[in-house]
Amino acid sequence: MKDEITREERVDNLKGMGCSRKRVEDARFTQGKGNYVDDIKLDGMLFGDFVRSPYAHARIKNIDTSAALEVPGVLAVLTAADLEPLGLHWMPTLAGDKQMVLADGKVLFQGQEVAFVVAEDRFAAADGIEAVVVDYEELPVIVDPFKALQSDVVLREDLVAEDGTIPDGAHGPRKHPNHIFTWEAGDKAPTEEVIANADVVAEESMYYHRTHPCPLETCGCVASMDKVNGKLTLWGTFQAPHAIRTIVSLISGIEEHNIRVISPDIGGGFGNKVGAYPGYVCSVVASIVTGKPVKWVEDRMDNLMTTAFARDYWMKGKISATKDGKITGLQCHVTADHGGFDACADPTKFPAGFMNICTGSYDIPTAYLEVDGVYTNKAPGGVSYRCSFRVTEAVYFIERMVEVLAIKLNMDAAELRRINFIKKEQFPYTAALGWEYDSGDYHTAWDKALKAVDYDGLRKEQAERVAAFKRGETRKLMGIGLSFFTEIVGAGPVKNCDILGLGMFDSCEIRIHPTGSAIARLGTISQGQGHATTFAQILASEIGLPADSITIEEGDTDTAPYGLGTYGSRSTPVAGAATAMAGRKIRAKAQMIAAYLLEVHDNDVEFDVDRFAVKGAPEKFKTMKEIAFAAYNQAIPGIEPGLEAVSYYDPPNMTYPFGAYVCVMDIDVDTGVPEIRRFYALDDCGTRINPMIIEGQVHGGLTEALAVALGQEIAYDDMGNCKTGTLMDFFLPTAWEVPNYETDFTVTPSPHHPIGAKGVGESPHVGGVPCFSNAVQDAFRPFGNTHTNMPHDHWRIWKTANELGLHD
Amino acid sequence: MELSDEIIINAPKDRVYAALNDPEILQQCIPGCEELIKHSDTELEAKVVLKVGPVKAKFSGDVQLDTTGAPDAFSLTGQGNGGTAGHAKGGADVTLTADGDQTILRYEAKADIGGKLAQLGSRLIQSTAKKLAAKFFKSFADVVNEERVT
Repeated sequence: MKDEITREERVDNLKGMGCSRKRVEDARFTQGKGNYVDDIKLDGMLFGDFVRSPYAHARIKNIDTSAALEVPGVLAVLTAADLEPLGLHWMPTLAGDKQMVLADGKVLFQGQEVAFVVAEDRFAAADGIEAVVVDYEELPVIVDPFKALQSDVVLREDLVAEDGTIPDGAHGPRKHPNHIFTWEAGDKAPTEEVIANADVVAEESMYYHRTHPCPLETCGCVASMDKVNGKLTLWGTFQAPHAIRTIVSLISGIEEHNIRVISPDIGGGFGNKVGAYPGYVCSVVASIVTGKPVKWVEDRMDNLMTTAFARDYWMKGKISATKDGKITGLQCHVTADHGGFDACADPTKFPAGFMNICTGSYDIPTAYLEVDGVYTNKAPGGVSYRCSFRVTEAVYFIERMVEVLAIKLNMDAAELRRINFIKKEQFPYTAALGWEYDSGDYHTAWDKALKAVDYDGLRKEQAERVAAFKRGETRKLMGIGLSFFTEIVGAGPVKNCDILGLGMFDSCEIRIHPTGSAIARLGTISQGQGHATTFAQILASEIGLPADSITIEEGDTDTAPYGLGTYGSRSTPVAGAATAMAGRKIRAKAQMIAAYLLEVHDNDVEFDVDRFAVKGAPEKFKTMKEIAFAAYNQAIPGIEPGLEAVSYYDPPNMTYPFGAYVCVMDIDVDTGVPEIRRFYALDDCGTRINPMIIEGQVHGGLTEALAVALGQEIAYDDMGNCKTGTLMDFFLPTAWEVPNYETDFTVTPSPHHPIGAKGVGESPHVGGVPCFSNAVQDAFRPFGNTHTNMPHDHWRIWKTANELGLHD
Repeated sequence: MELSDEIIINAPKDRVYAALNDPEILQQCIPGCEELIKHSDTELEAKVVLKVGPVKAKFSGDVQLDTTGAPDAFSLTGQGNGGTAGHAKGGADVTLTADGDQTILRYEAKADIGGKLAQLGSRLIQSTAKKLAAKFFKSFADVVNEERVT
């Protein structure tokens, strides 16, 4: 057989790894043909919505639903009393705590679910909600975690024994009724000793404010219980559909095979859609009670006020160094505000997530971390908003501490980083707080970044600007924000990563069709990441069939293999690895088939792009397309028909993407308005599957970083009122605020990942927040600023300038 | 939230004081007031429809009057509940000073607002409250003035 096209053309035709293949999802998204939860409309479908508490802390003396039941269109009103006989008035959280599904005697945060009104449509439900009369008795409100640990006011009476003792929580001993856990990493005494005897010690306290992922599509579900066959179908905005199926089964008692969970198209997740919410439980119960499908979809206020906040970490640090700037020790204490219930989405053994990556990219010999989790009268959550389990907090902490140390040492912050980076030859590197960094080449990335922005030139310009400012020639200061981050993603190895006991492996199942196309199903679920595009590319390179001939399907637990879903940049590191491994199983069988067809020994054929060819005789080959047909339709001795494979991948380690970011900002000291002149982002996410998608992820992650650093927050007043429950008060950047981003890369493949990929979705957010914040802080450094807390909105920047006397 | 202002009413002090204690006049002047029942000289019950930005709700609440400073001062405290829309509690201190035929009315009010009203209204509530207070005192001045004319 004659080869008619070149090898290069054959590679191009596959659109495999490294190709900026256009997103296959976009044909439907850009034409309004996506299918989201709220698009689902079933015959006789009802709508459920919550009566929510206007108080942040109150006892419920009575709930009168009688008037609501008179409202036309209202069919039922569920309260905790209705759920109690079923044992469903409380549910487990992902953090091993339990949470009220509907208020059971008291409410712990504003917006808490008190009753569930089921009606014929959303409007009747809203009328019904107004007619439910709840008699509240106000209780003292605590919104400050430090006060919570001093207060006599007990938020969680269910967690205090009758004799007043405090039983252990899910993560060990608790030292106060409002205390959840203490979690430690590293060595306390040696770290304290190093710091006590160090040449130089810098200390800083910082608050990483509470914020929210705020996906475009809010959370929601449709529950449909078929009473004839006993099957429950649950459509929802689930980032982890299989885990939701297991949780629903465990708490409802419905056998898992009778539950089908479907995540349809999801309009952004960013961690907000990982947890299990009262809306899901109430919809399921309401469907069982009414015998009809029930839909629940949050409005924007519900979403911002009640489902899954992020951050809210009060961090106190000490960093020590020699006189020449070699870092010798790091200490960090965190007071973590978890709200009314501990519903953090973290692996079981890590109640503070991977906060112990807080030694960052630096070779720090000794470190100690201690985290105290605290209950307050705020909404529960604590999800990883576009970061893997508290990694943004950790990276923000170390990237601020390094800047503060640079000020103390009177040293350039870029140089301080450079002399402390873990060196290329030190990988795999075991950090003082326990993680084994798989790979990295920090110096190369840093030098490339600094050169790209002409760092020395920028510093010179900045000095000139300060001089001009002092002479009264300008009112604008210039800030140079630096950040070098190491991410830890791809959770994770089952030996130390599970959520509610569910191991964090992931999976891929491939079916090759006789004519040489394929379908692959994964345990993950895209929320906009472009899985249907990139996973097909991995497979195309692995099995030699064009990406365009491979369908990727996710999110239906009846068809997809079990997996832990998509968050924490785990899809490519874990499910992507499973995809490659399943592809390799296909290839192994294809090799035997090819050898049979070519009448040679198995070892005498080799894989080449889209075919197996006889070694030394490339003109003798069988394409994967031919092999697929033969696999089904030719009797081959010793080989059973068909071409399918499944892989469950338990990663041996996490992956450690890294990056170097530089932000140049001009700040008007009189208006507090920061103008981002330049943002350079170099990402090393290992092997690059689709550069265009990577670039898109970087743009999105940086924009969310800009939001968090420069204004986005969930703020409460002293009464526990959530002051940022609408998009009028909660900052979402638009095209107006977003600068032009310059993206760049280096490639340091992960040594343990089958294709060397590390994940990128969250890197720009993790690295971006400290970069924007450092730029603001750096602008004021010449005037004595060491640290100010985020978010750096116009008012706070103005205030900083004012406090530094720049308006005098 | 705190509010304070002063207005001049074209009526003598004792007349103003009496009007401030007259449920009928108050009901007439309180914006959105649907019902005002006097249970005793110092206890009132009110139903008020209030609109702040997108939130419109019927508040029912109790008001306690402190008349020990009569006729120079007058205080009230109260709390109201608007169901899903939220809740409020607060008070006001009013002082009256005679100025010839006229009376200068000064007030200082303080309120804590919770629930949806506070969430949606954090940036609207101050201006709305100011507007409502201004509206109340304008109507009040008008009513008292009118009575004097007739």
